Amino acid sequence: MKKIHIIGIVIIALALAAIVSTISNSSTYASFRTADEHEGAVFHVVGKLDTTKPQVYDPALNANLFTFYLTDSEGNNKKVIYNNTRPQDFEKAEQIVIVGKSAGNEFHAADILMKCPSKYNGAETHKNQLNANS
Amino acid sequence: MSINYIGENLLFGYAGNFFIVVAFVAALLSAVAYYFTFKNPEEQRSWKALARTAFFIHGFSIAGIFAVLYYLIYNHRFEYHYVWEHSSTILPVKYIFACFWEGQEGSFLLWAFWHMMLSLIIIRKGGEWEAPVMSVISMVQVFLASMLLGVYIFGIKIGSNPFVLLREHPDMANFPFTKMPDYLQRLQDGRGLNPLLQNYWMVIHPPTLFLGFASTVVPFAYAMAGLLTGKVKDWIKPALPFTFFGVMILGTGILMGAAWAYEALSFGGFWAWDPVENASLVPWLTLVGAAHVMLINKKNGQALRSCFILVIVSFILILYSTFLTRSGILGDSSVHAFTDLGMSGQLLLYMGFFAMLAVVLFIINRKKISSPSEDDSLTSREFWMFIGMMVLVISSIQITFSTSIPVINKIFGTTMAPPAKPVDHYNSWQIPIGAMVCMLIAIGQYFKFRNTETKYFFRKIAFSFIASVIVSAGLYFYFDFARYQYDILLFASIFGIIANADYLVRILKGNFRHSGASVAHMGICMILLGALISNSKSEVISQNRLSINLGKDFPNNENIMLVKGDTLGMGEFYVTYKGKEKKGVNVFYEIEYFKADPKTGALVKAFSLKPVVQMNERMGNVSEPDTRRFPDRDLYTHITYADLEEMKEENKDNNDYTEPKVRTIAVGDTFTTANTLVVLTSLNKDLDKKSLVLEDNDLAVGARLSVIDVNKKTHDAEPVFVIRENQVFTKEAELPELGIRFSFQKINPQDGKIDIAFSEKKSNLREFVIMKAIVFPQINILWTGCILMIIGTVTAIIKRIREGKKA
Repeated sequence: MKKIHIIGIVIIALALAAIVSTISNSSTYASFRTADEHEGAVFHVVGKLDTTKPQVYDPALNANLFTFYLTDSEGNNKKVIYNNTRPQDFEKAEQIVIVGKSAGNEFHAADILMKCPSKYNGAETHKNQLNANS
Repeated sequence: MSINYIGENLLFGYAGNFFIVVAFVAALLSAVAYYFTFKNPEEQRSWKALARTAFFIHGFSIAGIFAVLYYLIYNHRFEYHYVWEHSSTILPVKYIFACFWEGQEGSFLLWAFWHMMLSLIIIRKGGEWEAPVMSVISMVQVFLASMLLGVYIFGIKIGSNPFVLLREHPDMANFPFTKMPDYLQRLQDGRGLNPLLQNYWMVIHPPTLFLGFASTVVPFAYAMAGLLTGKVKDWIKPALPFTFFGVMILGTGILMGAAWAYEALSFGGFWAWDPVENASLVPWLTLVGAAHVMLINKKNGQALRSCFILVIVSFILILYSTFLTRSGILGDSSVHAFTDLGMSGQLLLYMGFFAMLAVVLFIINRKKISSPSEDDSLTSREFWMFIGMMVLVISSIQITFSTSIPVINKIFGTTMAPPAKPVDHYNSWQIPIGAMVCMLIAIGQYFKFRNTETKYFFRKIAFSFIASVIVSAGLYFYFDFARYQYDILLFASIFGIIANADYLVRILKGNFRHSGASVAHMGICMILLGALISNSKSEVISQNRLSINLGKDFPNNENIMLVKGDTLGMGEFYVTYKGKEKKGVNVFYEIEYFKADPKTGALVKAFSLKPVVQMNERMGNVSEPDTRRFPDRDLYTHITYADLEEMKEENKDNNDYTEPKVRTIAVGDTFTTANTLVVLTSLNKDLDKKSLVLEDNDLAVGARLSVIDVNKKTHDAEPVFVIRENQVFTKEAELPELGIRFSFQKINPQDGKIDIAFSEKKSNLREFVIMKAIVFPQINILWTGCILMIIGTVTAIIKRIREGKKA
């Protein structure tokens, strides 16, 4: 066997290891129900902001605490604790992805990703503007 | 009934569309004619003349599309949707080009333009390779030109046309203005370039990156040409300078993107393993691998198969990365993926066509593509270069697989989410890989091609090795990294830098012409060393130490609140928020940094930073950091939250006062308002009743207040409490310059305390910002590395071109 074959085998093994590690490191898109069942495990929860419940951000009290309620795709509602500033234009997001874990009645988010309708294409708002001008 | 629209300039649109169609047809003709040029040696001359003419027409048309679109943007012809969508009259002229490539149509055009420019070099210098290489590139141009066609064939949209009229654009269908003859007069302005992209990086980064993308087509076309003509080995030498050019320019483009992210976008660093960043990094890694195996092949004829595979893969990965970033598939996982223009199908077809072509040609020629079967010697340079290429391939596989999770979900219907901590995930693989690359870089050049005497090798490298051990041992104690992987990378990158510097001085004796590899490799090691130190030792100094720390995974105290005028300690500095200033869409927040004088303890102003919040209707408000650069570190300051309501036009003169708040105090007591400190100095029973328009029988008491503002200036206010017969009323005192009112509401006879109510202008209350400040140590090592890498690669290109000429 040539050295090159040994190297080839090592490469394939490492590539497989990389793929396995990616799959094991990957998180899962889940609902609050699943996150509650596996309390402490990290999930991506996709949902919408519950506008009927209060969003609290009082920087004078704590600049690193923002709480709100999120309704997930199954309709479950949960309080979300986010130890950071309130993201700009939070209320404009049409969809919110929170990354974090369940803890009792709360969900501790480490990260918030927002999908804004205006991102890169503001067609809707600008269409209205055009109409208003004409 | 046709409407006669007023003021439209349709001629240029017709011209633009004409050029697009001509560019498409001429590219097709050129591809076919070039194919027959090398397939029919007898009629070569006439076919070649036809092919060249067709390609020149194609090139002229591409330039024509470019010129027309530029003219329309420059003259604000908003009857064209692309112009309306991407530019506006208020935009500074320097951003005209940025408008040009903000949209997808413009970026495909830019890409086609660079292919065309590179092709002109091949036509001039390619010699016998011109015909087969150009037939492949012309075919690529057919696909790119089709992206601009914008026609419907059997109900399928082919391409997206930049010359569609605003009123005819599908997004605008059924809007009343499309039926108004004078709509152009009513149209006030275009939507304009996204303010986030109004940045000089937007002018230089896309053309550089697209030239990098475009440059991968040349080695690919040479490889295809080798397969088409059966000269499966000879293509490598002429393709080599182009491959190194691709390495240089694509690398520069990627680093410019990183510098942009670091300087202007608030990702909190220069590299975030974002899918869009990864998508251009991976083809660069494979192209670097390709360049190295091509060098091996040129030296000893080995690794031919790897040359083909890597060159093909680099080109296909460029198309794949375009697909990833432009098909909308990354929507959930990337901060800057683009939306779908309905062209993903076409992109897949483009990618599929050339992937199939490559695979089929490769299989047909598989017997010819073999290397001499001698076993590599462990002490040969090519062996270690080959290993280095393999390491880059593993790196590419890991990044590609992790970045492609949304694609995997789409194909297999799974619900995998990207790793919750992407940076940790990628680093856990890429840091050891980086360390391996640095080690190989360190030892590689000390081996000779074919075989090296072991004694020679150890004697030559001993100095670098010992020096690196000493230097990195010192730094090991100095930095005290949290993870052992970091220590390994620290040693490896220092070894790489010292070994290459030593090689340059002792073995090359400073010969500039041959210095390319050493300088570029030093650059790479410095980039990795700078990234390691600045990232792993970065420190958020804006920490609020009062709250409970939940650990690094759940950072909960990285932002501090700065009220206007307050001074807070932060790291070695003291900071004050001075105020804000609005310029156009940008709000500048002035943060002053002070240092305490070591002797007196007095605060001395060090510098001030002005981070920006951009009020961006399209993207939402965007925060742009401001960075203070020191030789040994950067201090990065960034507004994470600010109340922007009152900055909007309608709230500009917000003269509303807040609801009064009551404080019960005794003489000598103090209380605070939003931005003042108030002291009740005394009660004044000896008032001048006449000037206060009071009657002689009134009982009146004044409360003497000293109001100290943020500048430590004292203002006096004296609200008055009046008893007239059985009625009680008060005389308010107002300090208009501070926007605050006081009234004296009650006297408590028992304890002598009084009630003071105050109300303030609402705008007083909002004067605060929440900010984050991060120190990135030794980031200049990284930037120096970038420059060295570029210089080194350019030197290598010049060397390869010279060698090509000699042969």
